[in-house]
Amino acid sequence: MSTTIEPRVHEQPEHPEAHPAHVSYLQDGYSIWSWLFTVDHKRIGILYLVFLTLFFAVGGTFAGLVRLNLISPHGAILDNDTYNKTFTAHGVVMLFLFLIPSIPAMMGNFFVPIMVGAKDMAFPKLNIASWYVWMLGSFVAIWALITGGLDTGWTLYPPYSSRFSHTNVVPGVFGVFILGFSSIMTGLNILVTIHRMRAPGMTWGRLPLFCWAMYATSLIQLLATPVLAITVALLGIEAASNALGTPIGIFDPAMDGDPILFQHMFWFYSHPAVYIMIIPGMGVVSEILTCFSRKNIFGYTAVAWSSVGIAVIGFLVWAHHMFVAGISYYAALLFSFLTMLVAVPSAIKVFNWTSTLYRGQISFQAPMIFALGFLVLFTIGGLTGIPLATLGSDIHFHDTYYVVAHFHFVMVGGMVLAYLGALHYWWPKMFGVMYSDFWSRIGSILIIVGYILTFMPQFWLGYHGMPRRYPNYPPEFQFLNIMSTAGYTVQLAGFLTIATYLTLSFFTGKKAGTNPWGATGLEWETATPPITHNFEHTPRVVCGPYEYSLNLTQTGGRADVR
Amino acid sequence: MILQHTIMPEQASDMAWHVDNVIWFITAVTGITGIGVYLAMLVFCIAYRRRTPNALGPAPTPRILGSHSLELAWTVLPLLLFLGIFGWGAWVYNKALHPPADAPEIYVVGKQWMWKIQYPGGQRVILGQNSLAYSQDIGGEGFFEGVMVLPVNQPVKIVITSEDVIHDFGVPAFRQKIDAVPGQYRATWYQPTKIGTYDIFCDQYCGTNHSLMVGKIMVVSEKDYQDWLDGKWKTGPGKNSVDGSLAHQGRQLFQKLNCIQCHDTQKSKAPVLEEIFNTRRPLKGGGTVIADDNYLRESIRRPRAKVREGWEPIMPAFGPDKVSEEDLIKVIAYIKSLKKGEMPVRTDDAPAPIGAPTEPPPPPKTTDGGTPK
Repeated sequence: MSTTIEPRVHEQPEHPEAHPAHVSYLQDGYSIWSWLFTVDHKRIGILYLVFLTLFFAVGGTFAGLVRLNLISPHGAILDNDTYNKTFTAHGVVMLFLFLIPSIPAMMGNFFVPIMVGAKDMAFPKLNIASWYVWMLGSFVAIWALITGGLDTGWTLYPPYSSRFSHTNVVPGVFGVFILGFSSIMTGLNILVTIHRMRAPGMTWGRLPLFCWAMYATSLIQLLATPVLAITVALLGIEAASNALGTPIGIFDPAMDGDPILFQHMFWFYSHPAVYIMIIPGMGVVSEILTCFSRKNIFGYTAVAWSSVGIAVIGFLVWAHHMFVAGISYYAALLFSFLTMLVAVPSAIKVFNWTSTLYRGQISFQAPMIFALGFLVLFTIGGLTGIPLATLGSDIHFHDTYYVVAHFHFVMVGGMVLAYLGALHYWWPKMFGVMYSDFWSRIGSILIIVGYILTFMPQFWLGYHGMPRRYPNYPPEFQFLNIMSTAGYTVQLAGFLTIATYLTLSFFTGKKAGTNPWGATGLEWETATPPITHNFEHTPRVVCGPYEYSLNLTQTGGRADVR
Repeated sequence: MILQHTIMPEQASDMAWHVDNVIWFITAVTGITGIGVYLAMLVFCIAYRRRTPNALGPAPTPRILGSHSLELAWTVLPLLLFLGIFGWGAWVYNKALHPPADAPEIYVVGKQWMWKIQYPGGQRVILGQNSLAYSQDIGGEGFFEGVMVLPVNQPVKIVITSEDVIHDFGVPAFRQKIDAVPGQYRATWYQPTKIGTYDIFCDQYCGTNHSLMVGKIMVVSEKDYQDWLDGKWKTGPGKNSVDGSLAHQGRQLFQKLNCIQCHDTQKSKAPVLEEIFNTRRPLKGGGTVIADDNYLRESIRRPRAKVREGWEPIMPAFGPDKVSEEDLIKVIAYIKSLKKGEMPVRTDDAPAPIGAPTEPPPPPKTTDGGTPK
């Protein structure tokens, strides 16, 4: 990429008022049907946003019940069965209904087409279909959780889930089965959109890193999710046949089935699925860090390809969840080794992000605080994964709170912070209003402090041996559990703050300009909020996505014009 | 030592030392790396903060696109570090997985929501806090001890299985953990180094009272251990029963289940089982098998899966309804204990033992199979 890109005049009409102005996507029809039958990727993104927020609140409430119960060593508020159903509901809702669709289905839907300079997704009708399938799956899953509940943990290990659990296993896994199809549809759509719908000049080397991340994520969604469908279908058959009294043994050793086979199949999806949950967040952070430090990303190629690298190697590490489940010594060696390899691309990203800050012009609005918070918490989450990938230490940490803390640092400290960062970064673009600068900084700091307070003590608990999914625990663990629950309340305060000022921004927020952050991506060159077809004219891309030092947008305009 | 009294959990086994070394090495190395990254972030955030926060203006930042040598460095260095950690971890894991050959075997059977421990001498202990299930399981007999007793500085091998769902037998103070998978035997081992009482947790979620599927391990001196085995002292209110060794109980079951009808040294219709444990045996249709725990187990549960060369598949399957997991362990312990000439002799006129199958086994098609090699 040469350094001599001349600023060019926008290919905008000289006198916009000469044309009848296109209305924003929000004003393009006000009836309920104009939303429910929309094929506009932005409206579909908003439909996802509404229900993601609802499901996050539901999952967060379950988390609150779990944490509240753990302030006493004998269970403060719930009996054992209810506790088991509660943590299962927390896991199922947060993973399948929130984290997996969060950034891909919401931000991916809304921004990938705009960022590549397209009018819409490649398959707009498939897009709205994926939302309906997601809603159907969500309601089946939630119906299963409400009427009778599910007490298997989200991991659904047989033979407990298929023969011994007398809860709603069959409808529960049916819900997950349906949800998977929505994920496949969205993944396919984004993959094809990035391949086929890029604007003139938007080469792979000029693709924003968020799109690279979404590309890698979609690859996983497309290739891994079918395995989940097979796995839960087989489990559903076994559970249903048991319930009907004509047992069919697939995983149940009492009928010559193999319970370890389920674990292999389950993790063959569910380990790549954790990358579905984190790679989009990495993409978001690359966008925010560059914008708020006004720097080119350090090592564009390395950051872009490390997303793909994680996606590919991520398929080969699944059995590291099974080091004490009795896989052979050599299998354990292989999977531990491959897990070490997948840690490298994540490390590369962290180093590149940190270097991006070097000699920047850093400002600390809410999106940047979330992105820096992501960097801090994700680094802890990533580094504490190494003792779990190492065979000798995993024996001790397996299935303890250490694991709980590790994946919450990645999932919550990583993905949820990235999701909130994305929401704050793109909020003005999506709704055309600014939120309170002061309160958003308070809210983001509250959440980061709350996370650290909630999950740091759990590393200690895990190292001292407290197992997962225990409503009863030895009394010496009580102090750290209370600390963890206190952290939850700090987070809750943060989330309520955010919900409040974001809602208020609709009524009292300043009107946002086209490019309030002075960013370079194509999404900042459309109207705010964008018009239904995104661009008045197909944009021509002339340079890479992060030319902050040259102050150039991707179409060659000045980036700092608000 | 200072660490051990503040933030480290008790180290009570040989393995704890090795596992903790790996853990603290990783923690130190990753901690230094992490703090380095954080310091860099902090310094950059302070040194390069925007002085006029909301003004954008022409951005006076240098156009730095990356550095190949830096990328190479922070790809290769972490990789080498990770591979070093991998190697160390694999070495510890290898140690944790493979017990010394001469370690005595203690069998553990997991069941919702208790652990049933069987010592080689026949002593039984049931662990768990789920008092409801005890009364059903022990049928009012006073076997319940509640504490697993182990000798200090002696390696013991733990062979584990489950009657129902997957459990996990974890002892944090020993830094050892193993899943109890129904239908299979898995093994781990301990060499306790410190006298004391330690927690046992079920680490694999197993249903309602998962968190009550816990117990204690009491590590005592070797003399106390012998005394405990001999019933001279107890850890709890139950009766410490010495009702013959596991192998002895297995012998009684061997008779009761009428195994002797065919597995007989005089008129054999099935392989003689003396001294077969851990030896390689030919199979019908080619191939060989090592007669280890899992093979013996399979040959009882599903005898037609692997049939020995020279014999007909006449044996009925003994499912969990006929032989419980605990009884199976006893029978296998008996088979393992059999030395040359120790098989009982069948006498045709002896009455069938109580509980023996009423119908005779189907006659074999060929009777020319001699004593197997």
